[in-house]
Amino acid sequence: MTLLQGWKGVLSDDRTKENYKQYVTGWEEKIHSLLEFDIDRNAESAAAGPLAGVPFAVKDNIAVKNFNLTCGSKILETLNSPYTATAVERLQAAGARVVGKTNLDEFGMGSSTDNSALAQTNNPWNLNAVAGGSSGGSAAAVAAGLVPFALGSDTGGSVRQPASFCGCLGLKPTYGSVSRFGLVAYASSLEVIGVLAKEVDVMEAVYDIIAGRDEKDQSSVARPEVAPHTEIKKVGVLRQIAELSPAIEAAYQAAIEQVKSLGLEVVEIDIPALDYVVPAYYTIATAEASANLARYTGIRYGHRTADDSSMEQMVAASRNEGFGDEVKLRILLGTYVLRSGFQDQYYIRAQKIRTAIRNGFDEAFQAVDVMLTPVFPTQSFLRGEGELTPFQQKLADKFTAAANLAGIPALTYPTGVAGGLPTAMQLLAPDFAEHRMFELVRRLTDEQGNIAPVGYDEGWRK
Amino acid sequence: MNVNELKTTAQLAMLDIPDPEKLAQAFTEMLENFSKMMEVDVEGLEPTTHALAQGNRLRNDTPRGTDESDALLARAPARKDRFFKIPNVL
Repeated sequence: MTLLQGWKGVLSDDRTKENYKQYVTGWEEKIHSLLEFDIDRNAESAAAGPLAGVPFAVKDNIAVKNFNLTCGSKILETLNSPYTATAVERLQAAGARVVGKTNLDEFGMGSSTDNSALAQTNNPWNLNAVAGGSSGGSAAAVAAGLVPFALGSDTGGSVRQPASFCGCLGLKPTYGSVSRFGLVAYASSLEVIGVLAKEVDVMEAVYDIIAGRDEKDQSSVARPEVAPHTEIKKVGVLRQIAELSPAIEAAYQAAIEQVKSLGLEVVEIDIPALDYVVPAYYTIATAEASANLARYTGIRYGHRTADDSSMEQMVAASRNEGFGDEVKLRILLGTYVLRSGFQDQYYIRAQKIRTAIRNGFDEAFQAVDVMLTPVFPTQSFLRGEGELTPFQQKLADKFTAAANLAGIPALTYPTGVAGGLPTAMQLLAPDFAEHRMFELVRRLTDEQGNIAPVGYDEGWRK
Repeated sequence: MNVNELKTTAQLAMLDIPDPEKLAQAFTEMLENFSKMMEVDVEGLEPTTHALAQGNRLRNDTPRGTDESDALLARAPARKDRFFKIPNVL
């Protein structure tokens, strides 16, 4: 079957266009995944190509001309983007059309999307459960079938964790393999634009289109001319994994058995530095955030306070009024760890631990072709009592943030459903070995059937 | 970690925090977590600033791409002609 065949005509035929709007509106009343939705706005950008006529959605911290670029923040609530991110431009050149911008934790800071100042996104599987974050809007939109794929950004797991919470695929590519031009900066040395999709073939096609060196991003890198092999014989698992919820523990053990049943050898791997992923990650991420978010002053764009009593007061008040509590916390932490006298203790030390983590993965990939780990210690959590606290959510980033510190690619895939919510696992691979993970996920999900929430429908496309 | 330290940090970050107590607990919790890093022997490890760093990339200092200055200026909250307007600093 041709890629995305069912999606290709939906924007060109009046009847399916109307069906499409109705389907999206029906879901959006419940999940609020999209901050903007307009299937006609960027119609003139339509090109011929492998994705001709295919709609997609973009996280609202990635620039698309004519759409807003709010980052889920009050400070940018009215900002309209004057230009388009390179990754989006490449998809448009392949014929795809942006139809909406998706909700997110403010500036990508969070694991539930409940840190958005603009909307509350609900999980399509259970409206009282969070969509995950920070790319929760992209994950919910894909899982509900509103778009065949969406772009997100992944700084410490922000594509993969919501994908796992909502039951779709999430790819964090090799650092630098996708241009960050047009991605609003949060933690520049960690983040990369990633892909959320329901089908691995779609994810692969999208990744192949957006990847590559870009003159507008000096940290972007070309993929090697000889791609890493895609043949898989050995799969690494971490020796010590604790504190998984029962459902995730069961899914993890089942995934290991499934790998064995494919005739692959499972090898235990020990990377002691991984015990320090969370402090190293949050030290580096907040340090970079404090510098990157210094640009929001109320002077050049974004929210400006009415308090004009002095320059300093105007800036400090604009930032107070515009930023939410989680963003303020991270700016303060980042400023603190960079203060003179504290740098060696925090920031430099974190960067050295980062080296140890990278070395650990380099060594691991001498012994195995890919690694299999959980994504997050729990499934999506319900709001209210029993909800993970913001601090517990941060501690739970250990499996995902490791890949950002090391720069390696990672792919999460749904493994099933337990208690009415999806479960998922993560694959890790060496630099630029994305296709090795696509191959393995194809084999792992081959007989899985459609993992989708009640109300998911493809019938309206016909 | 006392509240005065937090206020000093907020000043350095040019950020008003009207209710520092509200953030203090979360702040302290995270700093305690960061302190765990002191257990690690980092002897002989170089700091990593970027995964896959490929050295400095230099280019000529010449304008490239399209001039979007009008569109960018149009987004300023306060402006006079082609200048950003700010409170008096003198």
